[in-house]
Amino acid sequence: MTRSVAVALAVARKDLTSEWRTRELVPALGQFIVLALVIANFAFDIDSQNASAIAPGVLWLALVFAGLVAFGRAFAAEREQASLEAMLLTPASPTAIFAGKALAAALLLIACEAVLLPALALLFGTPLNAGLVLAVLLATVGMAALGCLFAAMVARVRAREVLLPLLTLPLWIPFIVVGGQAVQVAMGATGNYNQAVALLIDFDILFVVLTSLAARFVLDD
Amino acid sequence: MTRYEKAAAGAVLLMLVAAGLIFFYAPEDYLQKEPQRIFYLHVSAAIAAFASFLVVLVGSVVYLRSESARADRVARAAALVGVVLTTVTLVMGMLYAKPIWGTFWTWDARLTSTLVLWVIYAGYLLLRQLAEAGPQTSRYAAVVGIFGFVDVPIVYFSVNWWRTVHPGPVIVNDALPPQMLLTFLVTLACTLVLAAVMIAIRYRIETLLDEAPSAAAAPVAVISKSEPEPAR
Repeated sequence: MTRSVAVALAVARKDLTSEWRTRELVPALGQFIVLALVIANFAFDIDSQNASAIAPGVLWLALVFAGLVAFGRAFAAEREQASLEAMLLTPASPTAIFAGKALAAALLLIACEAVLLPALALLFGTPLNAGLVLAVLLATVGMAALGCLFAAMVARVRAREVLLPLLTLPLWIPFIVVGGQAVQVAMGATGNYNQAVALLIDFDILFVVLTSLAARFVLDD
Repeated sequence: MTRYEKAAAGAVLLMLVAAGLIFFYAPEDYLQKEPQRIFYLHVSAAIAAFASFLVVLVGSVVYLRSESARADRVARAAALVGVVLTTVTLVMGMLYAKPIWGTFWTWDARLTSTLVLWVIYAGYLLLRQLAEAGPQTSRYAAVVGIFGFVDVPIVYFSVNWWRTVHPGPVIVNDALPPQMLLTFLVTLACTLVLAAVMIAIRYRIETLLDEAPSAAAAPVAVISKSEPEPAR
């Protein structure tokens, strides 16, 4: 058990170190998010009156598409250098390797959220509070687990850029439904915040367990 | 006539019997008038679609446990039939909704989860089409088949906090008059038979596809055999 945790942390550290040295994903995604906000501003004609109604939707759209790009890249380097096969040849369990990849991808997505949430508050004048951050972070956990599972799957399939959103987005919908509800309440709408957060935690547990059970079948050759 | 043609003819005949009951036997609904007749096939197709996806789930779980090629083929066949039946459910539901609710679509829990169901299994079919056939793709598809089945009740549940306009289960609540109930049960039985026949035929097609040498490779092999080295 402790061995698996050590493997997962080592894999995550490897991915984060590689990102830190190349700096190829986070700056690009940060810029992608700022662009998404600019486009949303013109597409919705946002002003101070309607900002709080539109901002939650903009948040999820930007986050979902940034997430797809981030998870699509999660296995890109492994594929280009065939290093995933090398990792799988070691005695480390595939589930632990998968957990490490998912952890690193989730942390990269959180780095994007660190750009997205302040930018949203700054540009659209919406509140930035602990409830908002908590809801987004909880949704990130489950979304990262699912996104990484399907990214691992499509990494070895042609037309992967097309397949990743098609397989991942439907499974992200529960997080967007419930997370969307929580974010709307955190931004001032009426609704039951606690119930939404409780459901997000349930979904996180369910999908983290399911993806770790499935990881063996996706990573094994 | 092969047994598949016989089964198909039987299923078509049963559907005609169901159509006869729907249009000539079942009484007209007092409030909804003629459009209510859509109900019988709409609900039957939905139940048959869920049954097909249940078959996908079972096939996928069996495949992951035993790598059985037959379980994989069953899942493949049932997924295609399930997507067709879900399409029927959605289209008939929209036609039903327009005169009754005044709109083709509403983001109700049941409608949303059915649409998500359709998208997931359409993705499943696309994965099977785009990825090279082999044990790896079968394993991936099995994982998608299982996750899709888990996801749909969750989508239903999470949307269901918002108010719902879709009528609840009228059949279990004993709200249908006996003639309507009989028509519904016959239509349901006929639709389930139709779904089973379609899955069986598709299973046969998948078996033949698996056994046939790859279509791209075959002509090359023939040409190289029929053109021996010219004697010098």
